[in-house]
Amino acid sequence: MAKKVANVVKLQIPAGKATPAPPVGPALGQAGINIMGFTKEFNARTADQAGMIIPVVISVYEDRSFDFITKTPPAAVLLKKAAGVESGSGEPNTKKVATVTKDQVKQIAETKMQDLNAADVEAAMRMIEGTARSMGFTVEG
Amino acid sequence: MEWTEVSVLTTNEAVEAVSNILQEAGASGVKIDDAADYANLKAGKFGEIVDLETIPHRTTGALITAYYPETVFVPEILPTIKQRVNELSQFGLDPKPGTVTTKAVDDVSWATAWQKYYHPVRVTRYLTVTPSWENYQPVQTGENVIRLDPGMAFGTGTHPTTRLSMTALEMVVRGGESMYDVGTGSGVLSIAAKYMGVKDITAFDLDEVAVRSAKTNLDLNPIAKDVVAKPNDLLKGIHQPVNLVVANILAEIILPLVPQAWENLTDGGYFLTSGIIADKLDEVVAAQEKQGFIIDNILQMKDWRGVIAHKPTEDE
Repeated sequence: MAKKVANVVKLQIPAGKATPAPPVGPALGQAGINIMGFTKEFNARTADQAGMIIPVVISVYEDRSFDFITKTPPAAVLLKKAAGVESGSGEPNTKKVATVTKDQVKQIAETKMQDLNAADVEAAMRMIEGTARSMGFTVEG
Repeated sequence: MEWTEVSVLTTNEAVEAVSNILQEAGASGVKIDDAADYANLKAGKFGEIVDLETIPHRTTGALITAYYPETVFVPEILPTIKQRVNELSQFGLDPKPGTVTTKAVDDVSWATAWQKYYHPVRVTRYLTVTPSWENYQPVQTGENVIRLDPGMAFGTGTHPTTRLSMTALEMVVRGGESMYDVGTGSGVLSIAAKYMGVKDITAFDLDEVAVRSAKTNLDLNPIAKDVVAKPNDLLKGIHQPVNLVVANILAEIILPLVPQAWENLTDGGYFLTSGIIADKLDEVVAAQEKQGFIIDNILQMKDWRGVIAHKPTEDE
C-alpha cells in the first residue's frame, strides 16, 4: 500500500509485556493507533526477550495504520547484564555497585552504535561510559 | 488509575542515562523524543515515504517522558530524579538544560480511547467504510458497507490513495471479472471489488502482517469470504491472466509491477494503479505506455494520482 509516514513515536517498554497503560496509551492514543493491535503484535514479536526493556520505533502512516521496529536493548540493560547485577546504584557518587571494563563498554558501544545517533564509536563509548558511571558502575581499564 | 507524567529535557548524549534514571524511579517504560532520531530517519523496509517536512519533530535536544501510577508518590521521587539528572555532568554527560516538569494525566481508558479517531466514511456513492465497532446502517439504496478493523495494515479507507483506487474500481468493474489485488494491505480494495461484482479475487502482499490483517478484515465482510489472501512479492511467479489488476502501492514499486501486470492481464484487461505522488505521475504513465498499455484516465486527490489503463484488444 502507498504508505507515507505521518508521525514517529519512540518508546522503551518491557518486551512481551506491553499493556495499554502509559507510556504506550498516551503516546499511541494521541496518534490514533489501535493500541490493542500494537500491544498484541509487539508482545508476540518480543516474547523471547520477555521482561527486558526494549526500545521500539513506531511509524504511523497517514491513515493511522502503523508499523514498528525494535532496537538494541538500552545501554543500562546491557551494562547491568555485562556487570552481572540486577540494578544500578541510587547514589552513584558514593555507592559503587558494579564494575565494567573498557572493553565491555566498547562492545556495548559497538552493539548500540546504529541506534545511538553518535558521530563515531568514541562518542558512543563516552555515552555508554557516562551511563555506566551514572548507575554507580566503576569503569576499569 | 491516575498517572503523573514526568518529562526531562536533555541532550542526545544523556538519553540513555536519563531513561534509566526515570525507570529506576519506578516507571515501566519511557517515551523518547530525540531530535537526533529524526535527523537519522530512514525509509522502511517496504519503501515507505519519509519526508521530515510533513512529520512533526523536535529539532534540538531530547525530551524523555515517564509515567508514574498513583501508587508512586511523585513528590518524593522528584528531588532524586532532579539531583541525578544534574549530576550527569560529573559522569561526562551533558544533561543541559536538564529541566524536569510534571503534569497530571487524565484517567483514560487507553485500550479504547484511540477509537474516537475512526468514524464511518462515505467513500463513493456505493461504498462506505466503517470501523468494525460502529453499528453503521446504510442511508441510501445501493450503499455498501465495508467493515474494517483498523490496525497495522494500510488502507483504513480514509486516505486519498485508497479512495482513488475505489473510485477507479467503480469506473471499470462491470461484474464477473477475475482480479489480482497487489499490495492488499488491509484488504479494503478486495472487499470493495466484491461488492461491485468482481467474481474471483486473489490478494497479495509482501508483508505477512498485512496478509494476516487482510484475512481478519475479509472475515468481517461475508461477501469477501472467498477472496484468497497470500504473501507474494508483487506478481512474481504468477502466470495466470486475469481481467483486472489493482495496485495501491508507491510509484517506485509500481514500476517493476508494470511488465508483470502486462503478462498477467487478458486482452482488454484493466490495470488500476494508485499511490502515485503527483511528481512521479509522468514516470509511471511513461512506463505503462512503453509497455503497451493505453491510458484511459488520470484521477487526482490532493497530492496523489491514480491511473486507469488497459491492455489493448487485438482490434485496437
